[in-house]
Amino acid sequence: MSDIIGSDHPFNQPQQKTLAAVLDTLVPASEDGQMPSATEVDFDQYLRTQGEIALPLIEAVLEQLDNTFAEQSLEERCAQLQAYSEADPLNFQQVLTHVYDAYYQDDRVRVAIGMIKGPVFPQGNEVMAGDLSLLDPVINNSEQHQYRKV
Amino acid sequence: MTDDVVDVLIIGAGASGASVAWSLADTRMRIVCMEQGDWTNPSEYPTTAANWESQAYGPYNINPNVRGRDTDYPINNDESAVAVVNFNGVGGSTILYGAHFPRLHPSDFKVKSLDGVAEDWPIDYATLEPYFAQNDRVMGVSGLSGDPMYPPKQPPLPPLPMGLVGETLARGFNKLGWHWWPSDSAIISQPYEGRDKCLNLGPCLSACAQGGKSSTDITYWPEAIRRGVELRTRCRVREITVNEQGFADGVVYYNADGEECYQRAEVVVMACNGVGTPRILLNSTSARFPDGLANRSGMVGKNLMFHPVGFVQGVFEERLDSHKGPQACCILSKEFYESDTTRGFVRGYNMQITRGSGPLNTAMAGYTQGTIPWGPGHHEAFRKRFDHVAAIGIIGEDLPEEHNTVTLDTELTDSDGVPSPKITYRYSDNSLKMIEHGLARGEEAMQAAGAVEITKAGPLRDTGWHLLGTARMGNDPETSVVNHWGRSHDVKNLFIVDGSIFVTGGGVNPASTIQACALYIADTMKKNLANLFD
Ligand SMILES: Cc1cc2nc3c(=O)[nH]c(=O)nc-3n(C[C@H](O)[C@H](O)[C@H](O)COP(=O)(O)OP(=O)(O)OC[C@H]3O[C@@H](n4cnc5c(N)ncnc54)[C@H](O)[C@@H]3O)c2cc1C
Repeated sequence: MSDIIGSDHPFNQPQQKTLAAVLDTLVPASEDGQMPSATEVDFDQYLRTQGEIALPLIEAVLEQLDNTFAEQSLEERCAQLQAYSEADPLNFQQVLTHVYDAYYQDDRVRVAIGMIKGPVFPQGNEVMAGDLSLLDPVINNSEQHQYRKV
Repeated sequence: MTDDVVDVLIIGAGASGASVAWSLADTRMRIVCMEQGDWTNPSEYPTTAANWESQAYGPYNINPNVRGRDTDYPINNDESAVAVVNFNGVGGSTILYGAHFPRLHPSDFKVKSLDGVAEDWPIDYATLEPYFAQNDRVMGVSGLSGDPMYPPKQPPLPPLPMGLVGETLARGFNKLGWHWWPSDSAIISQPYEGRDKCLNLGPCLSACAQGGKSSTDITYWPEAIRRGVELRTRCRVREITVNEQGFADGVVYYNADGEECYQRAEVVVMACNGVGTPRILLNSTSARFPDGLANRSGMVGKNLMFHPVGFVQGVFEERLDSHKGPQACCILSKEFYESDTTRGFVRGYNMQITRGSGPLNTAMAGYTQGTIPWGPGHHEAFRKRFDHVAAIGIIGEDLPEEHNTVTLDTELTDSDGVPSPKITYRYSDNSLKMIEHGLARGEEAMQAAGAVEITKAGPLRDTGWHLLGTARMGNDPETSVVNHWGRSHDVKNLFIVDGSIFVTGGGVNPASTIQACALYIADTMKKNLANLFD
């Protein structure tokens, strides 16, 4: 887990520890090592871009988790978050959206899933033209596929 | 300002308002367009930032009630099975549209004669054909000629790339012996008229930073303005006023500072879309028109049509690069477009193949559908789906029904205090059967294409993209609002050019036909300038 520490951090030290554990539980690193965990992306920076929107949502989750959350096993942490997601599905979904939003903006993550780094504009993507000879059966059968004459 | 009279006042700068302004500019009349929204700046569009996906949840949301800009007006959808989506600004809803650009078919104009339902249009495909072609040229439309499901037409640009998604589904359709064709798309596949070609960014529904998508702020408007049309933004029209002779003589509007202003006009053209137009007409009451302007028939706000929408998603073992390329434009199938009563419903639907979404939407959709968990297992499930999906949108024909309405809400208003529209809408049995049929056929197509997992959903709620029928055309003033060239039966210098004038909706996305109608009406006005009000 990364150490989310900063004097202007909106959360206190114990909260930061719990938050890191939440991130790590929601999106752990992949076993093959290709995908980082959500604590490895700069969630701190992400929160700064969100203004006041995300903080109360996250605070609401942290309030519901006990102080030992970070020390618990992955299974126990999953069970606690699952229980929370059932108790407050709307808030949980909003927090999850923020976590995924931060995670899938990260360049390492983007490259690992086959995307370009950063904003998609102006680089754009290549898409193959496709084989238009696949239309032959439609063209050869065009009496069957005629528009309705009026 | 009250002494200042413009020749033509257009309300709304979207798809139809831009087309009509561009065409009327030939006349050298003094033309002013009032638009409640702003110009948008492509350098601020979502795809210029890494968080383009989440911007579509907020400031670029397609739902004005969520987007909540003060240039939007809230819409009461509580009594509607479908929620209205739109964009309010120069370019109108084309700023966020998918740019899938099929035309209505010849049969769509004659549904009563052919199938005994609804009404025939007072015009036909042949009347609109030159305007379809003109619109394709000005907008910049990519496609492939030769589709046997249409009379001959020649899109000005070659088709967009099908990609792996298109090829995969095309093979499925071929296995079933079904029709398919590359979609006509208002997206430029090659540099065109000073615009650079589409970069396959993907999320067209969050506005196009590249300008490859043909929204009217970058197609019609620059040319119309160059030729003398004055476009005034942040002017929200509250009502149209009439003189003692029963002619429209101006509008009351609010400027950017919320001040009430008045503009006089010789001719008024409404282009506020199928919800915005009836809203302003119903709000324009007077002693002569107590039930709203141009509403002697009682048809203003009635017969609201959307297109009922279903989605079939297939997951494929092989990678399809689904997040790349114009999301809504790929290929389509018209196999079930025309009526066949053995199916248990009349009229038909279009199958629109769409590409996949970005990673955030993939992960969140997977969470809500229960296919991509958070926690251990997330990456494996995500990898199986991201870039491995293709979807079929079922876009069905909705028939007009008087009980589906736009009325004025008695409490909700926009930021200037203008009453908001209230939508009352339910699906007909015909629509429900059609969507059920479409979902089953979509599943068949996905199976034939080799999908290993298929999910179906529909009819879907947040799909009120196409707003039609609420001030319909017709020859009979008792049952229609405007005549066969968009002029109000009741108010001879009032014209309507947006989707409200549709008599029936067809089973395809309407922007191409809306704009062709607007160009046709403008042309007819020009031909009749000497006796416009006779
Ligand atoms: C997300 C989305 C996806 C879509 N995808 C497709 C697609 O792929 N293919 C397709 O064919 N169609 C699509 N559509 C629909 C298409 O964009 C519309 O049918 C088309 O733009 C309607 O044209 P219009 O001129 O009637 O109205 P609009 O383009 O909506 O323009 C109306 C304008 O009027 C202005 N206005 C309204 N009231 C007032 C007032 N009181 N005072 C001043 N101004 C006012 C509005 O601000 C707006 O700019 C989509 C729409 C959306 C929202």
